Amino acid sequence: MTIQGLIIQLLSGISTGMVIFLIAVGLSLIFGTLKVLNLAHGALYMLGAYLCYWISSALSDVGGSFWLALLFAPLIVALFGGLVEFLLLRRIYHRELLDQYLLTFALILVIGDLIKLLWGVDFHMVPIPWPLNGPVIFKGLVFPRYNLFLIFCGPVIFVGLWALMRYTKLGKVIRAITHSREMANALGTNVPMVYTVVFMFGCWFAGLGGTLIAPLTSAMPGMDMIILIECFVIVVIGGLGSLSGAFLGSVIFGLVNAFGILIFPRLAIAFGFILMIVILIFRPWGLMGKPE
Amino acid sequence: MMEQIGKAKTGLQAIWILAVILLFAGLPLVLPLSWLSLLTEMLILALAACGLNLILGYAGMVSFGPAGLYAVGAYTTALFLVYTELPFWLAFVAGPVFAGIIAIVIGWFCVRLTHVYFALLTLAFAQIVHTILFEWYAFTKGDDGIVGIPIPLLLNSIPNYYYFSLGVVCICVALIWMIVNSPFGKTLQALRENPERTEFIGINVRLYQLAAFVLSGFFLGVAGSLFCGFNKNVFPAYAHWMKSTEMLVVCLLGGIYNFLGPIVGSLVYILLDKVITSYTHYWPLVLGLVVIALLLFLKGGIAGAFAEKLITKRQKAI
Repeated sequence: MTIQGLIIQLLSGISTGMVIFLIAVGLSLIFGTLKVLNLAHGALYMLGAYLCYWISSALSDVGGSFWLALLFAPLIVALFGGLVEFLLLRRIYHRELLDQYLLTFALILVIGDLIKLLWGVDFHMVPIPWPLNGPVIFKGLVFPRYNLFLIFCGPVIFVGLWALMRYTKLGKVIRAITHSREMANALGTNVPMVYTVVFMFGCWFAGLGGTLIAPLTSAMPGMDMIILIECFVIVVIGGLGSLSGAFLGSVIFGLVNAFGILIFPRLAIAFGFILMIVILIFRPWGLMGKPE
Repeated sequence: MMEQIGKAKTGLQAIWILAVILLFAGLPLVLPLSWLSLLTEMLILALAACGLNLILGYAGMVSFGPAGLYAVGAYTTALFLVYTELPFWLAFVAGPVFAGIIAIVIGWFCVRLTHVYFALLTLAFAQIVHTILFEWYAFTKGDDGIVGIPIPLLLNSIPNYYYFSLGVVCICVALIWMIVNSPFGKTLQALRENPERTEFIGINVRLYQLAAFVLSGFFLGVAGSLFCGFNKNVFPAYAHWMKSTEMLVVCLLGGIYNFLGPIVGSLVYILLDKVITSYTHYWPLVLGLVVIALLLFLKGGIAGAFAEKLITKRQKAI
């Protein structure tokens, strides 16, 4: 294999890793703060992809319809998530893991079928938006411009989120609650409201990931399950609840996938799981997490 | 006096159990074949859920991947029947035994972790099983599954296979009943309530958890082998976490802190499935709403809520 080929493989691995990072970081954020493993996260991502198709095709006469979808689809997903948190999730925070698992699993079924009711079971293509359609040609390397855009998005979101957690009041409150819910509550923080905000924020990321992936893979049924399992792998590798862990995990996962396919095409999926098992056995808190 | 009441209670229980078994045994005389095969499916699901509940409800270990061991049982039986001349009975026994052996390997790693990490590790192992079944095309036929598995003539009719399943499920459920009521079972419940204290009184927590995991894997394997013979086809989807979640939903539906919970749950689940799918394609939507309603309004599951009512009634009577 040529050097060019390797670089292309590297870039495509990182670009898929960056999309999964957006979803995984939402999952990790919600787990870190709310201590709930949100299985419905993949379904919310799928909702984002369908909303992207819906908005961009409804406004296809207007120029830049994709960019409007990029603005509104994640917001709608976040609002939907807020509703779910307010009506359902907050009733089960004190319950056992199994109850949380089943409630969020029930949401997968409900959201999946609602999407089927609204948009049917067909694939829905979303054209790659201007000005990102077409390739970038650099020293004999040909690479899609849109994937380069995704590689750019990942670190921007990561740094933005890191700064938010580090330097804003909201970030401080979230870190305080993650550290000790009772103490934050006793000091006068409105914990339930912060929970709703964090959950909506996590859902916004899922919606954003869905919107960004729609031009690449189109919106289709079943995409929620695939991404969910991949997110599990990533957050476990990086450490449940750790933002930098989600980033590192996504890059590792993207690369393992991209190069695994070259070496053992049939077993590429298994590599992620094997990595996850190894991490869980030797370092269950993940590469960037802290032991409990 | 108390002893006499206790004896009378056990006697009453025995009569109830006998009545239910007789009822199930008599059903082929009145039910049409389609319902009978549905009932066979329910029995197998009930056994899988009871096996899962051994760790879920009794030992408090939430597994996200029981379907992995279920599929190991099903595929072992299927592969022996297709590739070797082994008699059906031996292939049938090989399924659970192999599932138990795999459970030792998986469990050995899993019991080192707790809570969400334990759950995720079981999920990862189940996904590995799924990947192997899906990708090892030369051996497992991948996505096409293994179809047309040869079954002895004797079991090749719906009523006969129903009776075979009823027998196997009754024996296994009785075994599980003996396990959970043995000192071993009581210890499991103790470590569900408080692992630290259980360790303090000299119990090797991990060893007990591993034993429970292996036993649970064995019974999941029995259910898988039974289903392999029932369906005569096996597919990688048996190991998928959708199947795992189906088992978890069944346990929850009936109630995980009640021995009969998984059995009641599987009956309700299969009936709901049958009734709802005859009205609408959107069965997952209805199932999702039912699960949400159950979680919010009926915490102990159907059997749990029923048992609670019974207890309050008795207290009032006293």
